[in-house]
Amino acid sequence: MRISKRVDQVAPSGIRAFFDLVLGMKDVISLGVGEPDFVTPWHVRARAIESLEQGYTSYTSNKGMIELRRDIAAFLDKRYDLTYDPEEEILITVGVSEALDLAMRAILNPGEKILVPEPCYVAYGPVVELAGGKPVFLKTSIANGFKVTPQQIDEAAGRGVRGILLGYPCNPTGTSYSKKELEAIARVIKKHDMLIISDELYDELTYDFEHTPMATLPSMRDRTVYLNGFSKSYAMTGFRIGYVCGPADIVGAMTKIHQYTMLCASITGQMAAIEALKNSANDVQAMKKEYDRRRRYIVGALNDIGMTCHMPQGAFYAFPSIAVTGESSMDFAKNLLLKQKVALVPGDAFGQSCSQHVRISYASSYDNLKEAIARIDKYLKRK
Amino acid sequence: MSKPKSSPSTTVRALIEVSITPQKDVGFDSIAERIYSYPEVKSCYLLSGGYDLLVIVEGESIHTVADFVAAKLSSMANVRQTATHFLLRKYKEEGQVFKHPKSERRQNISY
Repeated sequence: MRISKRVDQVAPSGIRAFFDLVLGMKDVISLGVGEPDFVTPWHVRARAIESLEQGYTSYTSNKGMIELRRDIAAFLDKRYDLTYDPEEEILITVGVSEALDLAMRAILNPGEKILVPEPCYVAYGPVVELAGGKPVFLKTSIANGFKVTPQQIDEAAGRGVRGILLGYPCNPTGTSYSKKELEAIARVIKKHDMLIISDELYDELTYDFEHTPMATLPSMRDRTVYLNGFSKSYAMTGFRIGYVCGPADIVGAMTKIHQYTMLCASITGQMAAIEALKNSANDVQAMKKEYDRRRRYIVGALNDIGMTCHMPQGAFYAFPSIAVTGESSMDFAKNLLLKQKVALVPGDAFGQSCSQHVRISYASSYDNLKEAIARIDKYLKRK
Repeated sequence: MSKPKSSPSTTVRALIEVSITPQKDVGFDSIAERIYSYPEVKSCYLLSGGYDLLVIVEGESIHTVADFVAAKLSSMANVRQTATHFLLRKYKEEGQVFKHPKSERRQNISY
Protein backbone atom coordinates (compact mmCIF):
# COMPACT_ATOMS: atom_id res chain seq x y z
CA MET A 1 0.00 0.00 0.00
CA ARG A 2 1.36 3.40 -0.93
CA ILE A 3 -0.47 5.48 1.69
CA SER A 4 0.79 5.65 5.25
CA LYS A 5 -1.20 3.69 7.82
CA ARG A 6 -1.66 6.83 9.86
CA VAL A 7 -3.45 8.59 7.01
CA ASP A 8 -5.27 5.51 5.83
CA GLN A 9 -6.75 4.96 9.27
CA VAL A 10 -8.31 8.42 9.45
CA ALA A 11 -11.93 7.94 8.44
CA PRO A 12 -12.90 9.82 5.27
CA SER A 13 -15.70 12.34 5.51
CA GLY A 14 -18.94 10.44 5.79
CA ILE A 15 -20.82 13.14 3.97
CA ARG A 16 -18.54 13.73 1.01
CA ALA A 17 -21.16 12.35 -1.33
CA PHE A 18 -23.75 14.72 0.12
CA PHE A 19 -21.40 17.67 -0.35
CA ASP A 20 -20.86 16.67 -3.97
CA LEU A 21 -24.62 16.53 -4.47
CA VAL A 22 -25.07 20.06 -3.10
CA LEU A 23 -22.22 21.47 -5.16
CA GLY A 24 -23.68 19.92 -8.28
CA MET A 25 -27.10 21.57 -7.91
CA LYS A 26 -28.17 25.03 -8.97
CA ASP A 27 -30.53 27.53 -7.31
CA VAL A 28 -30.11 26.06 -3.87
CA ILE A 29 -30.71 28.12 -0.75
CA SER A 30 -27.75 27.08 1.29
CA LEU A 31 -27.78 27.14 5.06
CA GLY A 32 -24.73 24.95 4.97
CA VAL A 33 -21.93 27.46 4.59
CA GLY A 34 -19.37 27.69 7.34
CA GLU A 35 -18.10 31.14 6.50
CA PRO A 36 -19.47 34.68 6.71
CA ASP A 37 -21.72 35.99 3.96
CA PHE A 38 -20.13 39.41 4.36
CA VAL A 39 -17.28 40.45 2.14
CA THR A 40 -14.08 41.44 3.92
CA PRO A 41 -14.39 45.14 4.83
CA TRP A 42 -13.20 47.27 1.94
CA HIS A 43 -10.42 49.06 3.84
CA VAL A 44 -8.85 45.68 4.62
CA ARG A 45 -9.06 44.56 0.99
CA ALA A 46 -7.72 47.93 -0.11
CA ARG A 47 -4.70 47.53 2.15
CA ALA A 48 -4.03 44.08 0.71
CA ILE A 49 -4.20 45.47 -2.84
CA GLU A 50 -2.04 48.42 -1.89
CA SER A 51 0.58 46.15 -0.33
CA LEU A 52 0.85 44.24 -3.62
CA GLU A 53 1.14 47.50 -5.55
CA GLN A 54 3.92 48.52 -3.18
CA GLY A 55 5.75 45.28 -3.93
CA TYR A 56 5.24 43.35 -0.68
CA THR A 57 5.46 39.87 -2.15
CA SER A 58 8.29 38.17 -0.32
CA TYR A 59 8.54 35.78 2.62
CA THR A 60 8.14 37.15 6.11
CA SER A 61 9.72 35.92 9.30
CA ASN A 62 8.69 32.31 10.01
CA LYS A 63 6.92 33.55 13.12
CA GLY A 64 4.97 36.13 11.10
CA MET A 65 5.51 39.86 10.70
CA ILE A 66 6.66 41.32 13.98
CA GLU A 67 4.31 44.25 13.43
CA LEU A 68 1.34 41.88 13.30
CA ARG A 69 2.50 39.96 16.35
CA ARG A 70 2.93 43.20 18.29
CA ASP A 71 -0.50 44.38 17.20
CA ILE A 72 -2.06 41.08 18.31
CA ALA A 73 -0.29 41.36 21.66
CA ALA A 74 -1.54 44.92 22.11
CA PHE A 75 -5.05 43.94 21.03
CA LEU A 76 -5.31 41.01 23.44
CA ASP A 77 -3.90 43.12 26.25
CA LYS A 78 -6.48 45.82 25.69
CA ARG A 79 -9.41 43.53 24.88
CA TYR A 80 -8.93 40.83 27.49
CA ASP A 81 -6.10 41.98 29.75
CA LEU A 82 -4.18 39.00 28.36
CA THR A 83 -0.46 39.52 27.75
CA TYR A 84 1.89 37.61 25.48
CA ASP A 85 5.43 38.29 24.38
CA PRO A 86 5.21 38.91 20.63
CA GLU A 87 8.76 37.60 20.14
CA GLU A 88 8.42 34.20 21.82
CA GLU A 89 4.78 33.53 22.55
CA ILE A 90 2.91 34.39 19.36
CA LEU A 91 3.03 32.62 15.98
CA ILE A 92 1.14 33.64 12.85
CA THR A 93 -0.31 30.62 11.06
CA VAL A 94 -2.15 29.78 7.86
CA GLY A 95 -5.57 29.99 9.43
CA VAL A 96 -6.51 28.46 12.75
CA SER A 97 -6.60 25.14 10.89
CA GLU A 98 -2.82 25.13 10.66
CA ALA A 99 -2.48 26.27 14.28
CA LEU A 100 -4.62 23.31 15.36
CA ASP A 101 -2.49 20.88 13.38
CA LEU A 102 0.74 22.37 14.72
CA ALA A 103 -0.49 22.24 18.30
CA MET A 104 -1.27 18.54 18.09
CA ARG A 105 1.96 17.65 16.37
CA ALA A 106 3.94 19.71 18.86
CA ILE A 107 2.50 18.22 22.04
CA LEU A 108 1.40 14.66 21.32
CA ASN A 109 3.51 11.56 21.68
CA PRO A 110 2.26 8.45 19.87
CA GLY A 111 -0.93 7.06 21.38
CA GLU A 112 -1.53 9.94 23.80
CA LYS A 113 -5.09 11.08 24.18
CA ILE A 114 -6.91 14.36 23.76
CA LEU A 115 -10.41 14.88 25.15
CA VAL A 116 -12.76 16.34 22.54
CA PRO A 117 -16.29 17.40 23.49
CA GLU A 118 -18.74 16.36 20.78
CA PRO A 119 -20.39 17.74 18.65
CA CYS A 120 -17.26 19.42 17.41
CA TYR A 121 -15.64 20.89 14.35
CA VAL A 122 -15.00 18.15 11.80
CA ALA A 123 -11.23 18.50 11.85
CA TYR A 124 -10.72 18.02 15.60
CA GLY A 125 -10.66 14.21 15.59
CA PRO A 126 -8.58 13.85 12.42
CA VAL A 127 -5.88 16.37 13.46
CA VAL A 128 -5.37 14.45 16.70
CA GLU A 129 -5.13 11.17 14.80
CA LEU A 130 -2.83 12.57 12.14
CA ALA A 131 -0.53 13.74 14.92
CA GLY A 132 -0.39 10.16 16.16
CA GLY A 133 -2.75 10.73 19.07
CA LYS A 134 -6.14 9.37 20.00
CA PRO A 135 -9.23 11.56 20.35
CA VAL A 136 -11.57 10.66 23.21
CA PHE A 137 -14.97 12.13 22.42
CA LEU A 138 -17.11 13.41 25.30
CA LYS A 139 -20.72 13.37 24.20
CA THR A 140 -22.85 16.39 25.07
CA SER A 141 -26.56 16.80 24.52
CA ILE A 142 -29.20 19.37 23.74
CA ALA A 143 -30.54 18.83 27.27
CA ASN A 144 -27.80 21.09 28.64
CA GLY A 145 -27.15 23.11 25.51
CA PHE A 146 -24.29 20.89 24.32
CA LYS A 147 -21.97 22.01 27.13
CA VAL A 148 -19.30 19.66 28.38
CA THR A 149 -19.37 19.37 32.16
CA PRO A 150 -16.44 19.40 34.58
CA GLN A 151 -17.60 15.99 35.73
CA GLN A 152 -17.32 14.54 32.24
CA ILE A 153 -13.78 15.87 31.95
CA ASP A 154 -12.88 14.64 35.43
CA GLU A 155 -14.09 11.11 34.69
CA ALA A 156 -12.34 10.92 31.33
CA ALA A 157 -9.04 12.44 32.41
CA GLY A 158 -6.22 10.32 33.66
CA ARG A 159 -3.51 8.11 32.32
CA GLY A 160 -2.43 8.96 28.81
CA VAL A 161 -4.65 12.03 28.52
CA ARG A 162 -2.53 15.04 27.61
CA GLY A 163 -5.24 17.58 27.37
CA ILE A 164 -8.56 18.78 26.06
CA LEU A 165 -9.44 20.47 22.79
CA LEU A 166 -12.26 22.92 23.36
CA GLY A 167 -13.76 25.21 20.75
CA TYR A 168 -16.02 27.95 22.03
CA PRO A 169 -18.20 29.42 20.64
CA CYS A 170 -18.58 26.03 18.99
CA ASN A 171 -18.96 25.01 15.39
CA PRO A 172 -21.58 23.39 14.91
CA THR A 173 -23.64 24.14 18.03
CA GLY A 174 -22.90 27.81 18.71
CA THR A 175 -22.42 26.86 22.36
CA SER A 176 -20.24 29.03 24.53
CA TYR A 177 -19.45 29.19 28.23
CA SER A 178 -19.75 31.86 30.88
CA LYS A 179 -16.73 32.79 32.95
CA LYS A 180 -18.12 30.80 35.87
CA GLU A 181 -18.57 27.68 33.72
CA LEU A 182 -15.04 28.03 32.38
CA GLU A 183 -13.63 28.42 35.87
CA ALA A 184 -15.20 25.10 36.85
CA ILE A 185 -13.71 23.45 33.75
CA ALA A 186 -10.34 25.08 34.47
CA ARG A 187 -10.27 23.60 38.00
CA VAL A 188 -10.58 20.09 36.60
CA ILE A 189 -7.92 20.76 33.96
CA LYS A 190 -5.52 21.94 36.66
CA LYS A 191 -6.41 19.01 38.90
CA HIS A 192 -5.24 16.60 36.23
CA ASP A 193 -2.33 18.76 35.09
CA MET A 194 -3.63 18.83 31.53
CA LEU A 195 -3.14 21.23 28.68
CA ILE A 196 -6.04 22.93 26.94
CA ILE A 197 -6.02 23.78 23.25
CA SER A 198 -8.57 26.55 23.24
CA ASP A 199 -10.05 27.35 19.81
CA GLU A 200 -11.64 30.78 20.29
CA LEU A 201 -12.00 31.77 16.64
CA TYR A 202 -15.58 32.94 17.09
CA ASP A 203 -14.87 34.94 20.26
CA GLU A 204 -16.11 38.28 18.93
CA LEU A 205 -19.36 36.63 17.86
CA THR A 206 -20.56 35.97 21.40
CA TYR A 207 -23.98 37.48 21.91
CA ASP A 208 -25.33 37.01 25.42
CA PHE A 209 -22.32 37.66 27.59
CA GLU A 210 -18.70 38.74 27.35
CA HIS A 211 -16.36 36.11 25.98
CA THR A 212 -13.71 34.94 28.45
CA PRO A 213 -10.46 33.52 27.08
CA MET A 214 -9.39 30.43 29.01
CA ALA A 215 -5.88 31.82 29.36
CA THR A 216 -7.17 34.72 31.47
CA LEU A 217 -8.35 32.42 34.25
CA PRO A 218 -6.12 31.93 37.29
CA SER A 219 -3.12 29.67 36.62
CA MET A 220 -4.36 28.79 33.13
CA ARG A 221 -2.08 30.92 30.99
CA ASP A 222 0.80 28.50 31.19
CA ARG A 223 -1.29 25.50 30.22
CA THR A 224 -3.43 27.10 27.49
CA VAL A 225 -2.65 27.03 23.80
CA TYR A 226 -4.83 29.91 22.63
CA LEU A 227 -5.96 29.81 19.01
CA ASN A 228 -7.63 32.67 17.18
CA GLY A 229 -7.68 34.28 13.76
CA PHE A 230 -9.34 36.58 11.29
CA SER A 231 -11.63 34.33 9.27
CA LYS A 232 -14.94 34.66 11.08
CA SER A 233 -15.15 37.94 13.01
CA TYR A 234 -13.41 39.91 10.27
CA ALA A 235 -14.86 37.93 7.32
CA MET A 236 -11.37 37.10 6.04
CA THR A 237 -11.70 33.35 5.40
CA GLY A 238 -9.80 33.37 2.11
CA PHE A 239 -6.88 35.36 3.50
CA ARG A 240 -5.91 32.34 5.64
CA ILE A 241 -4.49 34.12 8.68
CA GLY A 242 -4.66 32.70 12.17
CA TYR A 243 -2.48 32.86 15.23
CA VAL A 244 -1.52 30.96 18.32
CA CYS A 245 -0.50 32.42 21.65
CA GLY A 246 0.90 30.32 24.43
CA PRO A 247 3.85 29.34 26.59
CA ALA A 248 7.17 29.84 24.83
CA ASP A 249 8.12 26.15 24.82
CA ILE A 250 4.93 25.08 23.07
CA VAL A 251 4.86 28.01 20.63
CA GLY A 252 8.55 27.38 19.95
CA ALA A 253 7.84 23.75 19.10
CA MET A 254 4.96 24.78 16.85
CA THR A 255 7.21 27.32 15.15
CA LYS A 256 9.81 24.63 14.48
CA ILE A 257 7.27 22.54 12.57
CA HIS A 258 5.80 25.59 10.85
CA GLN A 259 9.16 26.82 9.58
CA TYR A 260 9.86 23.51 7.88
CA THR A 261 6.40 23.03 6.41
CA MET A 262 4.62 26.32 5.71
CA LEU A 263 7.64 28.62 6.13
CA CYS A 264 5.35 31.60 6.73
CA ALA A 265 1.78 32.79 6.24
CA SER A 266 1.04 34.90 3.20
CA ILE A 267 2.46 38.41 3.41
CA THR A 268 -0.63 39.81 1.70
CA GLY A 269 -2.84 38.18 4.30
CA GLN A 270 -0.68 39.48 7.12
CA MET A 271 -0.76 43.03 5.75
CA ALA A 272 -4.54 42.79 5.57
CA ALA A 273 -4.69 41.43 9.11
CA ILE A 274 -2.70 44.39 10.45
CA GLU A 275 -5.22 46.75 8.91
CA ALA A 276 -8.12 44.63 10.16
CA LEU A 277 -6.88 44.73 13.76
CA LYS A 278 -6.29 48.47 13.65
CA ASN A 279 -9.47 49.70 12.01
CA SER A 280 -12.26 47.11 11.92
CA ALA A 281 -13.93 47.52 15.29
CA ASN A 282 -17.06 49.10 13.78
CA ASP A 283 -17.23 46.52 10.99
CA VAL A 284 -17.03 43.64 13.46
CA GLN A 285 -19.79 45.13 15.61
CA ALA A 286 -22.03 45.72 12.59
CA MET A 287 -21.63 42.12 11.42
CA LYS A 288 -22.19 40.82 14.94
CA LYS A 289 -25.39 42.84 15.27
CA GLU A 290 -26.71 41.40 12.02
CA TYR A 291 -25.78 37.82 12.98
CA ASP A 292 -27.54 38.31 16.31
CA ARG A 293 -30.71 39.49 14.58
CA ARG A 294 -30.67 36.41 12.38
CA ARG A 295 -29.90 34.15 15.33
CA ARG A 296 -32.98 35.26 17.21
CA TYR A 297 -35.13 34.83 14.12
CA ILE A 298 -33.86 31.41 13.08
CA VAL A 299 -34.02 29.77 16.51
CA GLY A 300 -37.56 31.03 17.08
CA ALA A 301 -38.63 29.94 13.61
CA LEU A 302 -37.11 26.46 13.94
CA ASN A 303 -38.87 25.88 17.23
CA ASP A 304 -42.13 27.14 15.74
CA ILE A 305 -42.03 24.58 12.93
CA GLY A 306 -41.24 21.72 15.30
CA MET A 307 -37.46 21.44 15.11
CA THR A 308 -36.40 21.84 18.73
CA CYS A 309 -33.43 24.14 18.86
CA HIS A 310 -31.46 25.52 21.78
CA MET A 311 -30.39 29.17 21.69
CA PRO A 312 -26.72 29.26 20.70
CA GLN A 313 -24.59 31.80 22.53
CA GLY A 314 -22.16 32.49 19.70
CA ALA A 315 -20.81 31.85 16.19
CA PHE A 316 -23.41 31.69 13.37
CA TYR A 317 -24.82 28.19 13.70
CA ALA A 318 -27.92 26.61 15.09
CA PHE A 319 -28.10 22.86 15.78
CA PRO A 320 -31.75 21.83 15.84
CA SER A 321 -33.11 18.37 16.43
CA ILE A 322 -34.80 16.55 13.56
CA ALA A 323 -36.42 13.95 15.82
CA VAL A 324 -39.84 15.15 14.67
CA THR A 325 -39.11 13.84 11.15
CA GLY A 326 -38.26 10.26 12.14
CA GLU A 327 -35.41 10.39 9.62
CA SER A 328 -31.67 10.21 10.07
CA SER A 329 -29.86 13.52 9.59
CA MET A 330 -28.37 12.32 6.31
CA ASP A 331 -31.73 11.26 4.88
CA PHE A 332 -33.37 14.47 6.07
CA ALA A 333 -30.65 16.63 4.55
CA LYS A 334 -30.73 14.75 1.26
CA ASN A 335 -34.53 14.75 0.96
CA LEU A 336 -34.77 18.43 1.86
CA LEU A 337 -32.16 19.24 -0.76
CA LEU A 338 -33.82 17.24 -3.51
CA LYS A 339 -37.42 18.21 -2.72
CA GLN A 340 -37.07 21.82 -1.53
CA LYS A 341 -33.58 22.85 -2.66
CA VAL A 342 -32.44 23.82 0.80
CA ALA A 343 -28.98 22.71 1.86
CA LEU A 344 -27.82 22.20 5.40
CA VAL A 345 -25.19 19.94 6.96
CA PRO A 346 -26.15 16.58 8.50
CA GLY A 347 -25.22 16.32 12.15
CA ASP A 348 -23.25 13.11 11.52
CA ALA A 349 -20.43 15.26 10.21
CA PHE A 350 -19.83 16.59 13.70
CA GLY A 351 -19.86 13.41 15.74
CA GLN A 352 -21.30 9.94 15.92
CA SER A 353 -23.80 11.07 18.56
CA CYS A 354 -25.25 13.79 16.33
CA SER A 355 -27.33 11.89 13.80
CA GLN A 356 -30.56 13.39 15.16
CA HIS A 357 -29.42 16.93 14.46
CA VAL A 358 -28.53 19.15 11.54
CA ARG A 359 -26.33 22.23 11.43
CA ILE A 360 -27.94 25.38 10.09
CA SER A 361 -25.66 28.28 9.28
CA TYR A 362 -27.28 31.69 9.53
CA ALA A 363 -24.44 33.30 7.62
CA SER A 364 -27.01 34.03 4.94
CA SER A 365 -29.32 36.94 4.25
CA TYR A 366 -32.46 37.41 6.31
CA ASP A 367 -34.58 36.89 3.19
CA ASN A 368 -32.81 33.60 2.46
CA LEU A 369 -33.40 32.44 6.02
CA LYS A 370 -37.10 33.22 5.81
CA GLU A 371 -37.48 31.46 2.48
CA ALA A 372 -35.53 28.46 3.76
CA ILE A 373 -37.73 28.17 6.85
CA ALA A 374 -40.84 28.30 4.65
CA ARG A 375 -39.47 25.47 2.51
CA ILE A 376 -38.41 23.36 5.49
CA ASP A 377 -41.88 23.82 6.97
CA LYS A 378 -43.40 22.73 3.69
CA TYR A 379 -41.20 19.64 3.69
CA LEU A 380 -42.13 18.79 7.27
CA LYS A 381 -45.84 19.18 6.56
CA ARG A 382 -45.58 16.87 3.55
CA LYS A 383 -44.27 14.18 5.87
CA MET B 1 -60.81 50.58 -13.80
CA SER B 2 -57.97 52.28 -11.96
CA LYS B 3 -54.47 52.09 -13.29
CA PRO B 4 -52.40 49.58 -11.32
CA LYS B 5 -49.55 51.13 -9.38
CA SER B 6 -46.17 50.23 -10.74
CA SER B 7 -44.28 48.04 -8.34
CA PRO B 8 -40.92 49.31 -7.07
CA SER B 9 -39.18 46.57 -8.99
CA THR B 10 -40.55 47.72 -12.38
CA THR B 11 -40.21 51.50 -11.88
CA VAL B 12 -37.80 53.24 -14.25
CA ARG B 13 -35.62 55.94 -12.81
CA ALA B 14 -33.68 58.62 -14.66
CA LEU B 15 -31.19 61.29 -13.60
CA ILE B 16 -31.68 64.40 -15.68
CA GLU B 17 -29.16 67.20 -16.00
CA VAL B 18 -31.01 70.49 -16.47
CA SER B 19 -29.35 73.72 -17.61
CA ILE B 20 -31.49 76.74 -16.98
CA THR B 21 -31.42 80.43 -17.51
CA PRO B 22 -31.87 81.87 -14.07
CA GLN B 23 -34.58 84.47 -13.63
CA LYS B 24 -33.77 88.01 -12.68
CA ASP B 25 -33.88 88.63 -8.92
CA VAL B 26 -34.89 85.09 -8.00
CA GLY B 27 -32.14 82.93 -9.46
CA PHE B 28 -32.90 79.24 -9.74
CA ASP B 29 -35.43 78.83 -6.94
CA SER B 30 -38.69 79.47 -8.74
CA ILE B 31 -37.71 77.32 -11.72
CA ALA B 32 -36.65 74.55 -9.39
CA GLU B 33 -39.98 74.84 -7.58
CA ARG B 34 -41.90 74.47 -10.84
CA ILE B 35 -39.88 71.39 -11.69
CA TYR B 36 -40.09 69.64 -8.34
CA SER B 37 -43.81 70.26 -8.09
CA TYR B 38 -44.38 67.49 -10.64
CA PRO B 39 -45.10 64.18 -8.83
CA GLU B 40 -42.84 62.37 -11.29
CA VAL B 41 -39.89 64.34 -9.87
CA LYS B 42 -38.60 62.49 -6.81
CA SER B 43 -35.56 64.64 -6.12
CA CYS B 44 -34.22 67.98 -7.30
CA TYR B 45 -30.77 69.40 -6.47
CA LEU B 46 -28.89 72.57 -7.38
CA LEU B 47 -25.29 71.68 -8.23
CA SER B 48 -22.04 73.38 -9.01
CA GLY B 49 -20.33 72.45 -12.29
CA GLY B 50 -21.37 71.92 -15.88
CA TYR B 51 -25.13 72.08 -15.40
CA ASP B 52 -27.51 73.58 -12.88
CA LEU B 53 -30.10 71.17 -11.57
CA LEU B 54 -30.00 67.42 -11.09
CA VAL B 55 -33.54 66.09 -11.32
CA ILE B 56 -34.44 62.48 -10.49
CA VAL B 57 -37.59 61.26 -12.21
CA GLU B 58 -39.48 57.98 -11.87
CA GLY B 59 -41.98 56.47 -14.26
CA GLU B 60 -43.51 53.19 -15.33
CA SER B 61 -41.32 52.86 -18.40
CA ILE B 62 -38.56 54.47 -20.39
CA HIS B 63 -41.24 55.92 -22.67
CA THR B 64 -43.13 57.43 -19.75
CA VAL B 65 -40.03 59.17 -18.47
CA ALA B 66 -38.97 60.27 -21.95
CA ASP B 67 -42.45 61.69 -22.57
CA PHE B 68 -42.32 63.62 -19.31
CA VAL B 69 -38.94 65.13 -20.17
CA ALA B 70 -40.03 66.07 -23.67
CA ALA B 71 -43.49 67.36 -22.83
CA LYS B 72 -43.04 68.94 -19.44
CA LEU B 73 -39.39 69.52 -18.61
CA SER B 74 -37.45 70.57 -21.71
CA SER B 75 -40.29 72.74 -22.92
CA MET B 76 -40.46 74.65 -19.65
CA ALA B 77 -39.63 78.35 -19.81
CA ASN B 78 -36.02 79.08 -18.80
CA VAL B 79 -34.91 75.47 -19.32
CA ARG B 80 -32.09 75.72 -21.86
CA GLN B 81 -31.05 72.09 -22.12
CA THR B 82 -31.61 68.65 -20.61
CA ALA B 83 -29.59 65.43 -20.69
CA THR B 84 -31.35 62.27 -19.54
CA HIS B 85 -29.49 59.31 -18.02
CA PHE B 86 -31.51 56.18 -17.27
CA LEU B 87 -30.54 54.22 -14.18
CA LEU B 88 -29.42 50.74 -15.21
CA ARG B 89 -28.32 49.21 -11.90
CA LYS B 90 -28.10 50.17 -8.24
CA TYR B 91 -24.96 49.11 -6.42
CA LYS B 92 -25.34 51.11 -3.24
CA GLU B 93 -27.85 53.68 -2.00
CA GLU B 94 -28.10 55.51 1.30
CA GLY B 95 -25.53 53.17 2.79
CA GLN B 96 -27.27 50.00 1.67
CA VAL B 97 -25.41 47.67 -0.67
CA PHE B 98 -27.73 45.90 -3.10
CA LYS B 99 -25.46 43.14 -4.16
CA HIS B 100 -23.76 40.54 -1.97
CA PRO B 101 -20.84 39.44 -4.10
CA LYS B 102 -19.54 37.16 -1.36
CA SER B 103 -22.72 35.09 -1.30
CA GLU B 104 -22.44 34.45 -5.00
CA ARG B 105 -18.80 33.45 -4.75
CA ARG B 106 -18.97 31.14 -1.73
CA GLN B 107 -19.14 27.39 -2.13
CA ASN B 108 -22.70 26.29 -1.46
CA ILE B 109 -21.59 24.10 1.42
CA SER B 110 -18.58 24.04 3.72
CA TYR B 111 -17.68 23.03 7.26
